[in-house]
This record gives sequence, structure tokens and C-alpha cells, in this order.
Amino acid sequence: MSAAFIECLDVGKVYDGRTGSVEALRGVSLACAEGEFVCLLGLSGCGKSTLLQMIGGLEAPSSGQIVVAGRELSGPSPATAIVFQDHGLFPWMTVAQNVAFNMKARGVGAKERRARVAEMLALTGLSGFATRYPHELSGGMRQRVGIARALTTKPRALLMDEPFGALDAQTRARLQHELLEIWAAQRTTVLFVTHSIDEAVFLADRILVFTPRPGQLAAEVTVDLPRPRTPRSPGFAALAARLRGLLGTEEGSE
Amino acid sequence: MVASPLGRLAGLLPLIGLIVAWQAAVMAQIYPPVLLPAPHKVANAFALYGGDILHNTLASLSRVAIGIGLAFVVGVPMGLLIGRFAWLDRLCDWSIQTFRSVPPISLIPMAMLFFGIGDTPAIVLIFLAGLWPLLLNTIFGVRTIERTLLKVAAAAGASEALILRDIVWPAALPSIFTGLRLAVGGGWLTVVTAEMIAVKSGLGYMILNAQMTFRPELIFAGIVVIGAIGLLADFSVQRLRRFACSWQEGLMVQGR
Repeated sequence: MSAAFIECLDVGKVYDGRTGSVEALRGVSLACAEGEFVCLLGLSGCGKSTLLQMIGGLEAPSSGQIVVAGRELSGPSPATAIVFQDHGLFPWMTVAQNVAFNMKARGVGAKERRARVAEMLALTGLSGFATRYPHELSGGMRQRVGIARALTTKPRALLMDEPFGALDAQTRARLQHELLEIWAAQRTTVLFVTHSIDEAVFLADRILVFTPRPGQLAAEVTVDLPRPRTPRSPGFAALAARLRGLLGTEEGSE
Repeated sequence: MVASPLGRLAGLLPLIGLIVAWQAAVMAQIYPPVLLPAPHKVANAFALYGGDILHNTLASLSRVAIGIGLAFVVGVPMGLLIGRFAWLDRLCDWSIQTFRSVPPISLIPMAMLFFGIGDTPAIVLIFLAGLWPLLLNTIFGVRTIERTLLKVAAAAGASEALILRDIVWPAALPSIFTGLRLAVGGGWLTVVTAEMIAVKSGLGYMILNAQMTFRPELIFAGIVVIGAIGLLADFSVQRLRRFACSWQEGLMVQGR
């Protein structure tokens, strides 16, 4: 437990475009312990999603190195799984087929797939929806499917890219609660990208604040408020105000 | 709004109007009956030459089925691969754009030189008429796959074979059906033309033969069959698409 489970060392990312190169991320170093819930907080364009994609192995850093589960990344690691903002469900597959996909990709046998799908559907409150298609589900249900799919391969870290960003406030709050329950039950590490200060304070053990142009890690804030938290918990508002200052925005976010 | 079955029948009204106008033109004797036979004579031709018409229809249909079947088997896998791999696209793009601009009918003389008279030249031409729409629409379908879906596959460590089978193929399927619809239409046009020149059977041959033997009612009967089968084929492809892409129903805005 002493060694960091996810470690970024001086990571930078430059995109070469036709109109010149854009520096998306500069000199990010961070470490994330196993079992920790870490939020990457920042306004749009601060490179937080880019960083998550790189930790997920979908993009290579331009400089620096990323280590996951003790190995330097050279592609997606089986130790991580990603949950995308627009959920990334295959519209031609049923809920059960969608949830089974990551296991199929990793060569898990059909019998084990079935058992694990049933287990994950139960965990995410989707039992009874196995044969539905994504277009028949609400936004919140779809994202539950996305989470269930990510959990099937027993990843040691869940990488979540603004997973609740497109949901209405009530659905969002409910899924935040459920995510914490799942996290508590499964004891996975969670790296969670968000632009919502309240969401970060509600969820995280630790918040990494990013600022844009170029994307940099500006501050690190440990949240030691006891769970369950609400916006009326003592210390919640003060912490949120402090984060608003760090983000350099008075209106903050929703 | 989906129209009621009875409402759909409104599509028959222009056709009925045409028959009425046709009958009127015959009664007004605008053209001599050798050129323009009365509708009931054409209907009678189906009874008179029924066996002939059926035999030639089946000949045309089987050529289109084989030609378009081959085009599907070749064009769709090629399209999936070209759409998936950029280097393959760079390799093939100019060639595809060049060859697809050549109307299959313009190849009839060459096809006859190479393959003589018979089924082979016709099937080759139908194949070419179907290949390009199938190939191009498949490529287009692959290109329009939502990027997140490919990211999901990459993050899960999916093999290229699994990506092609479980993601690229189903994602491209609606476009493939668009291609199939165009291919069947183009194949049907080509078969009739090819049969007038390079084959000694089929609806095209039958019509040409009817002209040379002064049987205008058989010419008209042939045209009616060609039109009806065109309509039926298009309808079948649409039905098949709705069945195969049922997952898409909820995603599409109901246009009617």
C-alpha cells in the first residue's frame, strides 16, 4: 500500500495541429494510492480529461511517464477500466451484451461472463433490464450500465471521465450516492474527472485542482470531512469556497 | 406519425391515375393500337404469354441475385477494412473513385468480347453495378462510428477481429443497407439493359424480342413486371433493414 497505484511523473501532452501545436498539459506529477477516491477538478480545457485518457492508456503522453500497478504504460492496462461521459454503450447490444463486452474483449469464458453480468446488474440496480436496448433507458440508467461494464473485469482502478456531467441534478445526486456505495463495497481506486466543485467535495478523499492554458496541476486538497456528506455538512461550504478561489472563478460551477 | 396501412395505399393513386389516362388515350386513339395497346390487352398478355414472362422474369431475377450477392460478399468486407484502416483507404481511394465513375452499361461491349453472350457478362456487369454503392456506403458507415465506442473497445483491449465483428459491422449496417438498396436498384437497371444486348433470355431480351415481332402488349407487360419487381425489391430491402437494425428504431427521428 505504500507505493502509489497510479503515478504520473512530469507528464506533458502537446497536440500538433495544422495551425501549430497546442500544449494541453504541462509537467503533471501525481500519485494515487490503492483504494483512494481522487477527483480531478478543473474548468473545461484544463487537460483533466486528457490526463485521464492517458492514464487509461488511450493516448500516449508527449513527455514524462505514467505508471499503473507498478508498470509503465504502453497501452490500456487490464488493471483499469474507463467510464465515459457519453457512456459509450453499443446501441445494437442489449444491456447484458454491453455489460459483457469488456469481459469478452479480455477473453473471459461465456459461462463466467453470464454469472458476472448478473452480479454486476444486481450491484448497479439493473436487474430486470438485461434484455433492454440502450435507447430504451434513461440517461441515468445508461450510465449505470457503463459503470457495470467497467466493473466486470474487476479493475483495481476505475477511471471516470465526467460520468454524471450530462445528467439532471436529481439523477446525478442519486448516482453519486450509489457510486460511493459501490466504491465502499468493491474497494477499487477511483479517479474521477469533474468540473463541479460540489461533486468533487461530495465524493473525493482528495481533490487535484487543474488550471488551463496550459493544463497544470495547481493545487491538491485533502477532504477529511466524514461521509456521508451533504452541502450542509460543517466544513463543506468553506471547502467549496476555497476550491472556487483555487479555480480562479467566482461563479464557480453549478 | 406513422401512416395507417390504409393511408399508405394513397401511394397507389398516381398509378391508378396513370392507367386511367392511358385508357383515355387509347379511347381517343391518339396513337394507333400497334403502338399503344389498351390496358386490358396488356393484362391479357399476362394470360397469353404467362409462361414466357415467368421464365424470363426468373432468369433476370437470378442474375441480379447472383451479381448483387457477389457484390455484397466482396464489397462489404472490403468496405469494412478500408473504412477501418486509413492506409488501406489511401491505397484504394483514387482507384475506387476512378472505377465507380464508369457506368456498367458502357462496359457491355468489353464484357461481350471477354465473356461472349450469356449469363456471365450480365452477372459481371450487375456485380460492378452493385459493387460501388455497397463499397462506398460501407466505408461511409464505418467512418461515422461514434468515436467513444472505439475508445471503449481500445480501453477494454479488444482484438481487431472482435472490433470488426461486434462494433464496426453492426455500426455500419444501416449504411450497408443504404448501399444494398442502391445496388439492387442499379443491378435491376443493368440486367434489363444487358439482356437487350448480351443475353438471349430475361425481361430485357423479352421486350426487345416483342418489339421485333410486333407484340406491343408484351412490351408493356414486360415494363409492368420490371417496375413491379423494382418496387417489391426496394420494399424488401427496407423491411430487411428494419428487421436487422431494429436497435436503431428508437434513435431515429420519425420522419413521416
